[in-house]
Amino acid sequence: MAFSLTVNGFRYVVDVEPDTPLLWAIRDAIDLTGTKYGCGIGQCGACTVHVNGRAVRSCSIPVKAAVGATITTIEGLSVDGTHPVQLAWKEFDVPQCGYCQSGMIMAAVALLQRTPAPTDADIDAGITNACRCGTYHRVRQAIHRAAALMPASLSGSLEEK
Amino acid sequence: MTPKQTLSEAMTAHVEDRRQFFITTAAVGGALVAGFGWPRRADAVEVTTPAAPWYREPSVPEINAWIVVAPDDTVTIRIGQTELGQGVWTACAMMIAEELQCEWSKVRGEYASANRDAREKAPEWTLKNPAGPKPAPTDPRGGGGAGDLPATNERVSWLGVYRRMATHRSGSVKFNLYYYQMAGAEARERLLLAAAERWGVPTSELTAKDSIITHTATGRTVRYGEVAARAAQLQHPHPEMIKIKSAHEFSLMGTERKNLDVPSKVTGQAVYAIDVKVPGTLYACAKACPVWGGDVKSYDFDTIKGRPGVHSVVQFPKPDPGLIRNRQFSGGVAVIADSWWHAKTALDALPIEWAYPPYTHLNTENMRRALIDAIKQPGRVLYQRGNVEEAMGEAAKVLEASYEVPYLARARMEPGNATALVTDDRVDIWIGDQSPQETRFSASQIVGIPQQNVYVHSAHLGGGFGRNGNGPQAEHAVMVAKAVKGRPVKLQWTREEDWSVGTTYRAMGAARMRAGLGADGYPIAMDLRAAADRSAAAPEHGLVPGYFAPNLRVSNHFADFHVPCSTRRATGSPSNVFFVESFVEEMAHAAGKDPYEYRRELISRHTFFFKDDWLKALDMVAEMSGWGKSLPEGWARGIAIDDRRDNREEADVCTVCAVVCTVSVGKAGAVRLERVDVALDEGFGFVNPLSVRKQIEGQVAWGWNDVMHQEFTVREGRMEQNNFHNFPVSRMKEYPREVNIRFFKTHHWLQGVGEEAMSQIPPAIVNAVFRVTGKRVRSLPLKKHDLSWA
Repeated sequence: MAFSLTVNGFRYVVDVEPDTPLLWAIRDAIDLTGTKYGCGIGQCGACTVHVNGRAVRSCSIPVKAAVGATITTIEGLSVDGTHPVQLAWKEFDVPQCGYCQSGMIMAAVALLQRTPAPTDADIDAGITNACRCGTYHRVRQAIHRAAALMPASLSGSLEEK
Repeated sequence: MTPKQTLSEAMTAHVEDRRQFFITTAAVGGALVAGFGWPRRADAVEVTTPAAPWYREPSVPEINAWIVVAPDDTVTIRIGQTELGQGVWTACAMMIAEELQCEWSKVRGEYASANRDAREKAPEWTLKNPAGPKPAPTDPRGGGGAGDLPATNERVSWLGVYRRMATHRSGSVKFNLYYYQMAGAEARERLLLAAAERWGVPTSELTAKDSIITHTATGRTVRYGEVAARAAQLQHPHPEMIKIKSAHEFSLMGTERKNLDVPSKVTGQAVYAIDVKVPGTLYACAKACPVWGGDVKSYDFDTIKGRPGVHSVVQFPKPDPGLIRNRQFSGGVAVIADSWWHAKTALDALPIEWAYPPYTHLNTENMRRALIDAIKQPGRVLYQRGNVEEAMGEAAKVLEASYEVPYLARARMEPGNATALVTDDRVDIWIGDQSPQETRFSASQIVGIPQQNVYVHSAHLGGGFGRNGNGPQAEHAVMVAKAVKGRPVKLQWTREEDWSVGTTYRAMGAARMRAGLGADGYPIAMDLRAAADRSAAAPEHGLVPGYFAPNLRVSNHFADFHVPCSTRRATGSPSNVFFVESFVEEMAHAAGKDPYEYRRELISRHTFFFKDDWLKALDMVAEMSGWGKSLPEGWARGIAIDDRRDNREEADVCTVCAVVCTVSVGKAGAVRLERVDVALDEGFGFVNPLSVRKQIEGQVAWGWNDVMHQEFTVREGRMEQNNFHNFPVSRMKEYPREVNIRFFKTHHWLQGVGEEAMSQIPPAIVNAVFRVTGKRVRSLPLKKHDLSWA
């Protein structure tokens, strides 16, 4: 079946079964491979994207549920790696293997949109993605830094823009 | 692309993009060839010499096999190690750039070609360690590793042009340093020769720094990019005479450098093997018999052949254990389809009957008993001094304790995968691999072609944590692709297959420790016995203590199980250091002494190499952590130390590291890791201290996971855990708010830095938990135990 998806401002028509996870439509049909497959059961967060400004685990929602929504992946965050969260991530040299980091960054962006100046406790509660390399120390520092870098224009929900 | 784009337009655009990208892989005679551009697609350059695809661009010739300097001064450094998060791309590039004297901001990394390595011999000048064939660990030249790195075995030669294309044994600095330095130095000398020729002056009048060559007398300068093409044509008359720096002369190494791969990892552009797409690719999802050594009895293709996109089913045999370090895996089936989701869902629906091997009666409980029985058998003695049994008889008090640790998976994030294209006389394989040379050998054996015809295209790895972290993914991919010759096949395991069938494990272990304490509370005898699977990796690591007892016996014991075990981060140490550092704590408690002071005394009584460094580490971490200062109720500190050596009697490379963990335990038994202090040996100095800090920070999470959450259990011969819901990986909220890391200089080369703090964290936590709760936990993980206290 053909479904129309709006990803990073572009409209794609993908021909997949309705219950195909959004993750595989993004990775294999639309060919945006920054979003990663980690667990397939909504646990690890490596596949985190924004759907209507909310961080969701794309392995666990079917394509049919994403039709008409505004979807943003890591590739849509900025054209050149200059989103404040990406800048902070580079400043603190956060990634190790990096495999979970696309999802981690998308989760961090969603957190900062909800909570522009998060406390450590907000970060603990808001970042539930798994990083096997254990980059949490730097993720935490980078989120605080990104909060300081984030211009008002980037706060607030994506769907309003 | 426009917002109104349809799929077919999008796919067309996609295909055109890909064409541009895959020109780099130059379809020649129907086969794809190497020269794949990593890690950014946009950086791909056309292959113009298919016979030797590593020569990317004739107008920018390489100076030597490691180094290409472009006219704009961009330095491309080819790296034989695989980046799996440990910072090796940056560290290897720094080792070369240290001698090349190039501007660091101009450096970019690229994977070295394992195919070229099979075709070309290493230059003579890379074969001699300046510190000699058996260097002392205290010699500041060379790296302190294996000396003249030997050729290894029939599978892998380390005499090919890129020498040791392996990322294991914490070896990327200690084994590779001298020849990476030589590569940088040889290229620098040839750049100097080219400048000298241009100006008609001797090279002795020239200096090189930050990619600029200066003629000191006249002040003339020339950039590397201006003379690189000429340098590529000139030969150095005596490359073997070029002198490389000793540790104390390094200037780039030792400075904190951000990792070269990080910018691509914050934009989603970094290419892991799972992201590789070769035009015309079929997708495969595979399942092997979940009891290792098993095979397929039957399967029913008819059930799934009508499903969307299904192409075929391939049954593949048990991989030859000789290809996978003698570890036994299973035979299985792969469904091939037009997309991975089609392949995966069809495989889920495929009825398969397994031919189980005779191991289905095994479970954690009976295997555990077999390990405990093994401890009673003679075992392999690692160390013996004095007469332990006689001395035990004279002890004022005999202490005995038994400990147990479970199987553990590495649980890397990227599920096993590889894309393979097999033709009659050639194999291409795109893979993230800790040992591309071994994969090259495997592919050549499976297809029956020479290694020179195998092209392993390396990609970044989404975690590794052990040289066999990859299990048989390469073998599966090649076997499946061989069945559909001429079509590239991307084989990708599910998470479940990756963790519970396609990997090797940290061995299950049991220990029985005995100590005879004298009247002063210090041991006069110790008998330390540890048992594990026979396939355990380095079961001796960390077992011989750095603590003195006049009578000491240390032994390994083994039971034969079918579970494939191998190297997982820190090999045998996480088990053994848990045993030893828990037991010495119990001895201190029995003696009524402070655990830090007790350790200090036992180390001081000893005479082993680098003992002073142990004392330095222990004192430093005690001071850092405020050892002895009061804490709130329910809080306590625990301490542990190790140096990652097999045998402390011999001077050898080592990394001394002492850790204090400060924990709180709620009355109901909830454990929180509040703070970690780490004192780490930096030897002569680190290559990139920033990467080292990141490694230690990550090991804090690893140690926490090992002690708190993780275990793999066996039922009916197979693993019961297979995904994040039943094998938890800690999250942000569990990471301590405070981690302090301090380095101290010593006068020896290091064992490594990727796993040197991890083993100390579990016993430090368990020791702290005991101080709060009075409960001594002797079997991991902690989550199984009631830690409530009043």
